[in-house]
Amino acid sequence: MTTVLATYNIKGGVGKTSAAVNLAYLASRDGARTLLWDLDPQGASTYLFRVRPKVKGGGRKLLRRGSDPARQIKGTDHEGLDLLPADFSYRHMDLVLERFKRPTRRLARVIEPLRDDYDYVFLDCPPSISLVSESVFEAADALLVPVIPATLSSRTLEQLEGLVNGEVGGLQILAFFSMFDARKRLHRDVMEGMRAEHASVLASGIPASAEVERMGAKRTVLAGFAPNGRAATAYEALWRDVRERLGQYPSPPQ
Amino acid sequence: MTAGDYLLPEGMTLADAGKAVAELLDVRDGRTLSGERAYYDTFDGRLHEAGRVAVWENGWLILQEVSADRVLARAQLAKPGGPLLAGDLPDGPLRASLSKPLAERALLPLVEIRNRERLLDVLDSERKTVVRMRLQQPALGRRRLRPRIHVAAVRGYDKELRRVDETLRAELKLEPTNETLMDEAVAASGARPGGTPSKVHVALRRDEPAAIAAASVLRALLDVTQANIDGAIADLDPEFLHDLRVSVRKARAVQRELRHVFEPEALSRFRADFRWLQQATGDARDLDVYLLDFDDMRALVPEPVRPDLDALRSVLATRRAAARRRMARALRSERTASLLSDWSSFLGRLGDDVQGPAAGRDAERPIAALAGERIAKVYARMVKMGEAIGPDSPAADYHELRKQGKELRYLLELFGAPLFRDDVVKPMVSSLKALQDVLGRHQDREVQAATLRSLGDAVATAADGSPAALMAMGALVERLEEDQYAAREQFASTFEKFASKHGRKRVRETFE
Repeated sequence: MTTVLATYNIKGGVGKTSAAVNLAYLASRDGARTLLWDLDPQGASTYLFRVRPKVKGGGRKLLRRGSDPARQIKGTDHEGLDLLPADFSYRHMDLVLERFKRPTRRLARVIEPLRDDYDYVFLDCPPSISLVSESVFEAADALLVPVIPATLSSRTLEQLEGLVNGEVGGLQILAFFSMFDARKRLHRDVMEGMRAEHASVLASGIPASAEVERMGAKRTVLAGFAPNGRAATAYEALWRDVRERLGQYPSPPQ
Repeated sequence: MTAGDYLLPEGMTLADAGKAVAELLDVRDGRTLSGERAYYDTFDGRLHEAGRVAVWENGWLILQEVSADRVLARAQLAKPGGPLLAGDLPDGPLRASLSKPLAERALLPLVEIRNRERLLDVLDSERKTVVRMRLQQPALGRRRLRPRIHVAAVRGYDKELRRVDETLRAELKLEPTNETLMDEAVAASGARPGGTPSKVHVALRRDEPAAIAAASVLRALLDVTQANIDGAIADLDPEFLHDLRVSVRKARAVQRELRHVFEPEALSRFRADFRWLQQATGDARDLDVYLLDFDDMRALVPEPVRPDLDALRSVLATRRAAARRRMARALRSERTASLLSDWSSFLGRLGDDVQGPAAGRDAERPIAALAGERIAKVYARMVKMGEAIGPDSPAADYHELRKQGKELRYLLELFGAPLFRDDVVKPMVSSLKALQDVLGRHQDREVQAATLRSLGDAVATAADGSPAALMAMGALVERLEEDQYAAREQFASTFEKFASKHGRKRVRETFE
């Protein structure tokens, strides 16, 4: 059984890529065969894994019926973790999807033949509400939603929950706080309030940290240069929470 | 090419090779690891056959694809020291990927090595790993195996691997080898890489004297019998006993069908002794099958009644243990040992001299003529028997037909396939198989129902027996009889295909 997890938020710069990359790494480290599909034309995940942001024939060919996505996959430096790279043409994915009969089913169809090869597929999504995100909602089993604690965060999450529950059944939302500063009163208050209000908000979260920012310069996952740092530890806890919420057998002891 | 192995030329050490590689390629020196590595496969080498390998290392049991070096699934567990069935594995991806290929077979430890290896990552201009290189010094006990370099492309970087391959061959003068480290270690331990096959394929010539052909087929069957004795006694998995019995049954079929190839007096002693061996192992196999099918049978009765069958399961398990003890005694006995060694020398004499004292009157006839005659004969007999069977025929009639079907199947496999046209033999085997499936189900249900009836007293007096257990057994007998009836209903159509006009004609043209 393949689990498809998408890191998603309407807003950019909230920690989607960092979550996708580090959680996918943890999944592969636990022995699961893992694929990350970098759907963001900016290609930040692809850059972090030092892979060329290029898909032969571009997004259009990849989305076509009968395409062979397996041929586009690149292994990363981490055993068990593969990448379906970003391509600059993904910026027009909405327009490409529009031409299909059932545009929102398209991404799920591309993933379908890969299910035998992977236990987890992570989708790193571009920030937007569009045909691409609707297509992601159809393909995913759960959305991992990083939330920066701010006054309007609760409303945004409510909107997303409304959207998801109205459109697709069976899609789980797992929100977690991202880039928070526990010393800030406002952050603490918002987090406390939202956890009480939204069952979808996980107990663990990822604090703002210089380590996460350094990933761009190091071009690797946190475990690659700060395996015992605060951020890496926070991702471990988050991954445990996610798996527990998904009802999956516990990861083996490390 | 996605992975490969290279051996070092005479006089080159791994350190030299590592140094030379670092001068020629952009590499990142990784860790040096040292540890035990244990390889596993089934007795008949199912994983090897499928291009896969199960290896235990650093607390993980890993299923890998040999050619691509790709991890298919893995699970964390302590090093398995004995046989491991798919059902013994923790629930998860590894168990899911092994259940089907292993079926009832156990993974057995093949060989254990100590391996010291240095990891080198070959990098591209972005300093990304594109090829993984392992400089390995394996050892089997105190004995060092040949140092080797294993390379594997990271997925999607095959072109880079080709460049590395060129460098290793042209600049470092390394020799590529097709022998994997596992195969080398298995061979060094004295075992046979790829396991012991249970299927017999002996190439035959059409004009070969029947005695020589029969001797080589029977010799191959004897090898299977002998290879499976230890595993059957140790109960490593149920397939050892099954394969042993099939090889004996096939040998008996050859003895019967080609009886005039052998000297009559000697043959009658061997036939009697092989019959005894088959009977001595029969109960144990029947009870194996019973317990293997138990969950399926349990599913035949309504859900609430199922737990009531647990008492039956424990009675069966007790009987199986007793039958296994009797079987082990027989297999270890002097009678078995002398039967197999006498049979082996008899086959040697027969193969050496087709006019000698071991030979019968058909010994010199060409095998194709003799085997073809027998195939046509048994087929004709089956057609006649099958035509006489109707919905009300006694179960014994179906059973007799099935026994002939087995005989024909073995003749076709052992002699038909190597000597006659594929386009005749293959469709014949497949329509026969379909017929045998129906007859087998009919007979299994017959025997199962009869066994259940006979076990009533034993279950009633067992510690966990109860009236509910007996009622559940009653319900099961009823379902088995229904299923047997369903098999009868399928008989006519499968038999019709087997005995079609076209089929009969082809048999006449090909074998007579």
